[in-house]
Amino acid sequence: MNKNQKYVLIIGIILIALTLFYWYSQGAEVFTKTQVLVDKTTDLDRMLGVENKDYVDKFVFGLLPSGMTSIMEIISTASITGVVVFLSGILIYLLRNKRKETK
Amino acid sequence: MKKTLSIFAVIMVFTASLFAQGFKVKGSGEQTFNFADNKNQATFFSTTPLEDITGLSNDVKGSITFNVGDLKTLKGKVIVSVASIKTGIEMRDGHLQSAGWLNTESYPEISFEIKKVSDVKSAADNKLTAKITGNYTMHGVTKEVTADATLTYLDESEQTKMRAAGDLLGVQAKFNVKLSDYGVQNKLVGQKVSENIEVSVNIVGSNAQ
Repeated sequence: MNKNQKYVLIIGIILIALTLFYWYSQGAEVFTKTQVLVDKTTDLDRMLGVENKDYVDKFVFGLLPSGMTSIMEIISTASITGVVVFLSGILIYLLRNKRKETK
Repeated sequence: MKKTLSIFAVIMVFTASLFAQGFKVKGSGEQTFNFADNKNQATFFSTTPLEDITGLSNDVKGSITFNVGDLKTLKGKVIVSVASIKTGIEMRDGHLQSAGWLNTESYPEISFEIKKVSDVKSAADNKLTAKITGNYTMHGVTKEVTADATLTYLDESEQTKMRAAGDLLGVQAKFNVKLSDYGVQNKLVGQKVSENIEVSVNIVGSNAQ
């Protein structure tokens, strides 16, 4: 492995580590979410002894994609790691030492 | 003889009123409460090895009728639209409504029809707890279930008018159902969902005509 390939490998590992760290800091959810459940209980609801919750649009970065219908559902630790591994693999291949042709 | 019968009748009425558990509010007599607004909700809670799932519907309709002084007279039906259930993940919602799960096309509604009320206890003048038994229909299968319920009655006021006209009745009820009892497979997007699901309703009805 030459110097350039090592750089690519180290940058790839750092990117994956940062992705994992960001996923953990966002609550370590298994699936990426585009909606989260929030409590909307009002004082009147409390007087009536009922709760009120609803799903609101909010992006939560997960370990795995939650769907394939939108880019927000696809973004996840697994998909970013996959892209990083794929691109690193291509770069490492392209940056390999070319053998000198022997006559 | 007439005197004895009269005393007996008075005792019977007194005993009946003593055991009749109802609200001690301004409203009286038989009242019908309609649950119609989109703040009413039914939820289900389940667990999978990977995460907990909360399904929520804001399309809950129905009505109940009872004598304010005696909750045991409670009758009525609550209906939830299956197509309105959200779980926070669109793909999962699609699976939930598919033929393999709740099958929205064939069984568009989940319903609970009240049959009887027992164990009525007063928590406050306007709050009662009770066990409500009824026919729960899901996925085309009807079974009897008993829900733990809390009912809160609010006489009409400026504050209640913000939600709806008339007196308001808040109902919170919870019960558990076993998916296999209703012919529902317990796999959702490859995850094995818990066999027992907790169902709860949080609904507010108004007696305004």
